[in-house]
Amino acid sequence: MANALILGISIASIFLVAAIGLTIIYGTAGVINMAHGEFIMLGAYATYAMQTYFGLPYFLCIPCAFVIVGAIGFVIEKLLIQYLYHRPLDTLLATWGVSLVLIQGTRLTFGSDPKYIQMPGFLSSNIELGGVSLAAFRIFVILAALALIALVWFVFYKTDFGIKVRAVTQNREMAAAFGINSKQVYSFTFAFGAGLAGVAGALFGVLNIVLPTMGTGYVVQAFLIVVTGGGALMGSAIASIATGEMQSIFAMLLNDSFARFLIFILIVVFLRFRPQGLISAGGSRR
Amino acid sequence: MLLQLDKISAFYGRTQILRDIDFAVPKGSCVCVLGRNGMGKTTLLRTIMGLVDKMTGTMSMGGEDLSGARTDERAKHGLGYIPQGRQILGKFTVRENILLGTFAKPGRDGTIPEICLELFPYLRENLNRRAGELSGGQQQQLAIARALAVDPQLLLLDEPTEGIQPNIVAEIGETLAMLNKKMGISMILTEQHIKVARQLGDHFVMMDNGRIVESGPIAELTDEMVDRHMTV
Repeated sequence: MANALILGISIASIFLVAAIGLTIIYGTAGVINMAHGEFIMLGAYATYAMQTYFGLPYFLCIPCAFVIVGAIGFVIEKLLIQYLYHRPLDTLLATWGVSLVLIQGTRLTFGSDPKYIQMPGFLSSNIELGGVSLAAFRIFVILAALALIALVWFVFYKTDFGIKVRAVTQNREMAAAFGINSKQVYSFTFAFGAGLAGVAGALFGVLNIVLPTMGTGYVVQAFLIVVTGGGALMGSAIASIATGEMQSIFAMLLNDSFARFLIFILIVVFLRFRPQGLISAGGSRR
Repeated sequence: MLLQLDKISAFYGRTQILRDIDFAVPKGSCVCVLGRNGMGKTTLLRTIMGLVDKMTGTMSMGGEDLSGARTDERAKHGLGYIPQGRQILGKFTVRENILLGTFAKPGRDGTIPEICLELFPYLRENLNRRAGELSGGQQQQLAIARALAVDPQLLLLDEPTEGIQPNIVAEIGETLAMLNKKMGISMILTEQHIKVARQLGDHFVMMDNGRIVESGPIAELTDEMVDRHMTV
């Protein structure tokens, strides 16, 4: 059981890293971003490109992925998303279209063959943790998840930008009445969320091969976490830990496929009785 | 004139609420906007803040044309807004609510202006408390402190005594009088309490069906006008 719990933490960290950018975009702007998986994919390709064409060390590629995907997110928000706030179905369709464009664009640019990201040598070993042998890189992902949570908390609760974002989320009119340009806040929030997806891509590109379609698998999991968590940062963290641990324990008792099936059922039942999720982000978004 | 509105009409969707409003606020004065519920008082303040769907006519502040300005740009010209129902951000702490006001302040330094806490010592003692936990009167104090954090030239107060205990109403009245008479902050005040309006106002405008039907110095506000336009 201890083995399952430790593996569960590793799975939870992957879920959380995948979901954190989406949590911000959905929780603050209310945008159902179907292109989130493709932002993750772009992060992986940005890391690959920086490493392959510019020879940057892996740890420098991670902030580069944040900046590159954040900038792409900013442009997409300015060109498309800003016209679709408060129109959830249109946003859903538009971002799905964006995801297809990004997949095809990446395929045209980098080809369809898989790419590989080189990780630093010291992360390729295994580490014993509570009697479980865990890849060092997975421990790095756990630490990265904690660092990202701390970063997002700091940005949202200790900076002027955070006050602006939370004010706009709670009451857009009042935020504007006190000098806050909500359009600008939404643009930078979307870019920040996209940038965090880019960081997720830089991490997942090492765990898996890098392909134009790699984001599709992550977006489903990310949405499950965000919806179960209620769009709040803490909600996503709790939902990630709960689903990660359950998946690990069910997989130990049964098998991996059945574990996923059970988790989906449990989430559907949970949302039937608590549709607002664990912790509602709860802005009036007026 | 500090604020000048010329031929202002305002709309929510296709519905016209205000019709051809001409209105001015002299610097340092308090103008009371009176009238029954639903006559356009709140919409007048929201129009000045740029919070209606559409506005026609011209609005200038200190001689600068703000007719096409966004709400956040208007706020930065020294408008401090205290909306009906206060609309403090319940999930924010008291400190964060006041800091919100400073985003519209020219030369913002990220600190709470001393005047906000000097006027309301309760807020100083409860800076880290969630604003949603405060009583109605305390929330109104917070709403005034938040507007003062803008360092406003003009305060827009929408029924500041609505739903407040009578003893707090007097306290708020005294605070507003001090801000206007001693500190020289201009005000537009919508009020149902005619006593508060007479105590604070220098001028009045009476609204009926989205139009200004009477106006003048507050001394000229007669009981007959009050009966005709404010009695239900």
